[in-house]
Amino acid sequence: MTEKQPTYNEAAQRLEAIVASLERGGMDLEETLKLYEEGAALLKICQTELHAAEGRLNELRLEDLEQELQAQDAQATD
Amino acid sequence: MTGRGEVTTGPLAVGQFVSMVKRTLVREPLFQRQTIKGEVSQWKQYPSGHTYFTLRDDEGQISAVIWKGRCQIHPSIKEGSEVVVTANLDLYVKRGNIQLNVERIEPINALGAMEEARRQLIERLRLEGELDRPRQRPPFSPKHILIITGAGSAALSDMQQLIENRWPGLRRTVIEVLVQGQRATEEIVRAMALSRRLANPVIASQRGEPPVDLIIVGRGGGSPEDLWAFNLEPVVRAILASPIPVVSAVGHESDLLVSDLVADVRASTPSNAIERCVPIRAELEQWQDEIHERLNHAMLRTFGDARQRLIGLHARLKVAPLAGINAGRRSILTLHSNLNRAVEARFSKERTRIAGLEAALVSIHPKRVLERGYAMTQSEQGEVITKAGMLNVGQAYTLHFVDGTAQAAVTEIHAEEENT
Repeated sequence: MTEKQPTYNEAAQRLEAIVASLERGGMDLEETLKLYEEGAALLKICQTELHAAEGRLNELRLEDLEQELQAQDAQATD
Repeated sequence: MTGRGEVTTGPLAVGQFVSMVKRTLVREPLFQRQTIKGEVSQWKQYPSGHTYFTLRDDEGQISAVIWKGRCQIHPSIKEGSEVVVTANLDLYVKRGNIQLNVERIEPINALGAMEEARRQLIERLRLEGELDRPRQRPPFSPKHILIITGAGSAALSDMQQLIENRWPGLRRTVIEVLVQGQRATEEIVRAMALSRRLANPVIASQRGEPPVDLIIVGRGGGSPEDLWAFNLEPVVRAILASPIPVVSAVGHESDLLVSDLVADVRASTPSNAIERCVPIRAELEQWQDEIHERLNHAMLRTFGDARQRLIGLHARLKVAPLAGINAGRRSILTLHSNLNRAVEARFSKERTRIAGLEAALVSIHPKRVLERGYAMTQSEQGEVITKAGMLNVGQAYTLHFVDGTAQAAVTEIHAEEENT
């Protein structure tokens, strides 16, 4: 990817703007198609973002997490 | 030692008696977890780690002991300090001494001193510009929240509940720390140091999770002293140093801590932190469904319009050339008939002329001349002899008369003088 992935909010705002201008109409087909494709890609990003937030629930004692990270470091330097 | 049977029949052994007294004393709720104020005297800290002193005022006094590690002792406490202790009454059977087992000891002037330190810290931060620093924006939809708070606290379970309501299954890591007492500061700072690592994409991916993108550090309500760790410089500096947004969520609405002043987001309570940082997933999904439909609809409409236009154009296209051809055909027909007329006119003129020519031709036909008594002479080669000079003596010529021909031979030629 050449561009930085937009945040959820950036993607959502751009998508709103795209849909609004598509709804206004008055663009040629090529432009419309381009916007539609961009909109669809942004929607995909938004949907992916929602799923990306699903995950584990860790409740860790401070010491345990410290040890875990240390062990991870040791492994990484091996 | 006396046997069991003698307890009821003879005098009590003193040890037994003192033990009975102790049992009665420690059962009395008024004597347990009581808050008592007084002046410290005979303050002695032993190498064993235990501290002994007498708590006294003008009316009375009592021995007190702080067992090693039982509570933090403010360094300002010394002989003569006014203190407030929270303690349980106990009786040391071997000596028959009543004493206080101290659970907590605070110098009475400490709050004043702490307030002063807090004021100075805020002033320093103001001079450094930290209070007006640009804040980091929390992610609109966090993917991995780190919560730093007390283990098993009400604040934690409130936050967990609220997260589940708003975004079921949202990925989160809770680091359980002490949130009050002197060790709280150190633990919160250590947890913040760990957060830095959990926010590191490389380390996070090694752990198989997305990096932490939001930190909520806080605790539920309590006395000003309970919340005090969040007024201390190490915690404040740790928040300032965080590469990812930090929400300060300490105490109740009315509590304003220094951590609140420097954090990227100040939440009034831990629950408020969740309300402000965790969107309601169902609402986002609904928005996505709606915008999806609007996107498709707008697209289809634009293309539908274009298609209609195209169909219209196509229909016109189908008709248009025919109209042209018809017009062309009409004009060609006109041209054609015009041409015909012109040709006709031309021919009839020619015809008249040719008729005239014919008449003229007829009038000058040799036969007509012959009819008038002339004869035409022709050589054997078919040449018409028009002058005497063309004749040769001895040659035969054909004479054409109106009713036949005759062969003649030239015997003499008398050519007239000719002026040429």
